[in-house]
Amino acid sequence: MIAWFIGNSGTIFVSIVLLLLVFFIIRHMIKERKSGKGGCGSGCSGCANSGMCHGHNHS
Amino acid sequence: MATLRDVKCGETVKVLKIHGQGAIKRRIMDMGITKGTEVLVRKVAPLGDPIEVNVRGYELSLRKADAEMIEVQ
Amino acid sequence: MSLTIALAGNPNCGKTTLFNALTGSNQFVGNWPGVTVEKKEGRLKGHKDIIITDLPGIYSLSPYTLEEVVARNYLLNANPDAILNIVDGTNLERNLYLSTQLMELGIPVVMAVNMMDIVEKKGDQVHIQELEKNLGCPVLEISALKGTNVMKAAEKAIQVAHAKRSVPIHKFDAEVEETLEQIEEQLTGVAKEQRRFFAIKLFERDDKIGEQLSFSVDVENLITKLEDKMDDDSESIITNERYTYISSIIEKCCTRNSKGKLTVSDKIDQIVTNRFLALPIFAVIMGFVYYISISTVGTMATDWTNDVLFGEIVPNAVDNFLNAINCADWLASLIQDGIIAGVGAVLGFVPQMLVLFFFLAILESCGYMARIAFIMDRIFRKFGLSGKSFIPMLIGTGCGVPGVMASRTIENDRDRKMTIMTTTFIPCSAKLPIIALIAGALFQGAWWVAPSAYFVGVAAIIISGIILKKTQMFSGDPAPFVMELPAYHMPTVSNVLRSMWERGWSFIKKAGTIILLSSILVWFTSNVGIVDGHIGMVSDLSDGFLAKIGSGIAWIFAPLGWGDWKAAVAALTGLVAKENVVQTFGVLFGFLEVAEDGQDYWGTLASSYTPLAAYSFLVFNLLCAPCFAAIGAIRREMNNGKWTWFAIGYQCVFAYAVSLCIYQIGTLMTGGGFGVFTAVAFAVLAFIIYMLVRPYKQAHTLRVNIKSVKS
Repeated sequence: MIAWFIGNSGTIFVSIVLLLLVFFIIRHMIKERKSGKGGCGSGCSGCANSGMCHGHNHS
Repeated sequence: MATLRDVKCGETVKVLKIHGQGAIKRRIMDMGITKGTEVLVRKVAPLGDPIEVNVRGYELSLRKADAEMIEVQ
Repeated sequence: MSLTIALAGNPNCGKTTLFNALTGSNQFVGNWPGVTVEKKEGRLKGHKDIIITDLPGIYSLSPYTLEEVVARNYLLNANPDAILNIVDGTNLERNLYLSTQLMELGIPVVMAVNMMDIVEKKGDQVHIQELEKNLGCPVLEISALKGTNVMKAAEKAIQVAHAKRSVPIHKFDAEVEETLEQIEEQLTGVAKEQRRFFAIKLFERDDKIGEQLSFSVDVENLITKLEDKMDDDSESIITNERYTYISSIIEKCCTRNSKGKLTVSDKIDQIVTNRFLALPIFAVIMGFVYYISISTVGTMATDWTNDVLFGEIVPNAVDNFLNAINCADWLASLIQDGIIAGVGAVLGFVPQMLVLFFFLAILESCGYMARIAFIMDRIFRKFGLSGKSFIPMLIGTGCGVPGVMASRTIENDRDRKMTIMTTTFIPCSAKLPIIALIAGALFQGAWWVAPSAYFVGVAAIIISGIILKKTQMFSGDPAPFVMELPAYHMPTVSNVLRSMWERGWSFIKKAGTIILLSSILVWFTSNVGIVDGHIGMVSDLSDGFLAKIGSGIAWIFAPLGWGDWKAAVAALTGLVAKENVVQTFGVLFGFLEVAEDGQDYWGTLASSYTPLAAYSFLVFNLLCAPCFAAIGAIRREMNNGKWTWFAIGYQCVFAYAVSLCIYQIGTLMTGGGFGVFTAVAFAVLAFIIYMLVRPYKQAHTLRVNIKSVKS
């Protein structure tokens, strides 16, 4: 058993890192969703002219 | 009744009254076209509509259909 | 003590520049409660306890637009300690209109007059002292661009916030004042400094103000009495009074010498919105932007990231590391062939994106956008969209989500629905890697591919507009169009770079999150399959689960020329995010492996599809249903499930029809045989042409629905 762990320590290590990464990504995405941001980032924050489109009438 | 729609390019006119009601009227007035304002019709868009006017020192564009609501002298 | 200062002003007055100058990188972005209008806040540089709130750019505090309602609800309910009102000195009259409304709120106001350098250059003068005396609030000259006096303005705002002195108020005509006073007398339950604001709003019969009051007042008699007397509706009386007041002080505060002279902006406009040149100039500018970013400057950097960075450096380093720690082969393959291949294929296009974002930021901030709306209005209105529909579409070149959201600036319900349905036809930045991949791999970087993709999007919008307009549900009149044409100005380097970086960074972030997850999923589903009766790793990808699913749907796309499972899967994964199309090709075609015949990933791709099939694939992916995020945005803006499905369904069917025509008719013209699907393609083409030219009757009455704003 222990020998198996030692023999595969590299694989186990990489797997854990990968699983953690996936966990954090999913958590991050859920957080973004909850805070009202869509899955896409290029929002109005990136637009130098956002005043232009936010200044007009809405029925 | 003469309206802003009929005014030729380069002419300056004085606004008498704004017809219509609600959001459009408020919008036009918010942008500075009120009773007594001088409006210079600057140009017509390449395809004939909308028009560009100079009012209170800045450029405003509006459609001919909306310009029809503005009665001028 | 912590203080909140609200930053208020007209659109295009330099508010964003001032906000950036005041807060630097100390910004946090969120949403206004209940609505998806973006809310930016930041801490004042050097003052940790001072929060600056950036209000939406507005012309007035009327109840008719979402932004205006958001701004006034914030000012009334959140009670900021001071308002920093930024005013465009070149356009003082209209800017003061908002100022007169802000001053009625009972919150201390500091006015910052911006763009004074341009005023002086024109030979005009603004007399700050006179302005201060007449308005009764501190006034400063600033230059948001150069940062002059910016901190002084903020400090002044802090000072008045501490002093808590309420602003002396301008007076209207005696008769109006009398009525307002009578209304104020009934407002005993309202804080004294807010009474004037409420009285005016009640007088205007503002339907949003009732929600703010805890009791009801009946002032209808007073209003009608004055309305009859002045022969106008109450709202217009107030607007007139405000401008009359402004005109009365503007003479004293402002000396104009430039009247009648042509400004630089006018001279540019003479060419750019010229009767004959306007449309060609627009086509050349957009074509140029796409050509430069996809085919020239961007490509050199992209080649390097693709071939060297993600072709050699990263894989080799990871390979050495994984070997050193003795990692299992399957896991190494997941990381190399799955994650690095997938994410790398997308990240390889970052340089091209940055170049495109750079150009778009310049176009957005120099004032050309409003001109495009001006030029295009007639064409767009011809098929029921307004020139304003063009703005969502230009924003859509960055990302479909804010593009769809920007459609809410369109007043008319029908116009808005149509804009929402067609906005995502414009290639967004996530579709750009697909364009770049097809252009680079299948067309050896031909100059026309990228601009053509853009114009296919525009053509799709126009064709859809005409077709939809003639159906029952979209027939009717266009919405009004009243828009400021702001003067041209040089965009600042810092604003352009900031915009480019924010967009580029979110592209990279997306590659690190959703694309990475998709890569893992694609790798697993393609490498795992049924081997000898049980689930296990397959040696050939075409035995994997993904290949089975792909083959199941690939026949649908066979008439379009790309009926193999890899392309079908790529189109499918594109629903998660459009970059996934490139990512999936990266994983499935072995981004990192150089095949035995010496071909790399692009070569393998090129030998798998004909250029015509690839172009058909490109067009399908540009026009079909957008990514889930954009579908979500469509759902939110439509606020109706049936309409959402109709929009998605229409996009897919339209994409299929166009791709079919391109591939089948293209095949025939390049010497291919005439098959069943060629006949179908001609039938589809004939149908589209019929839909385009069939006569229809347009209603002539002007009906405009004014629905209340959800807030």
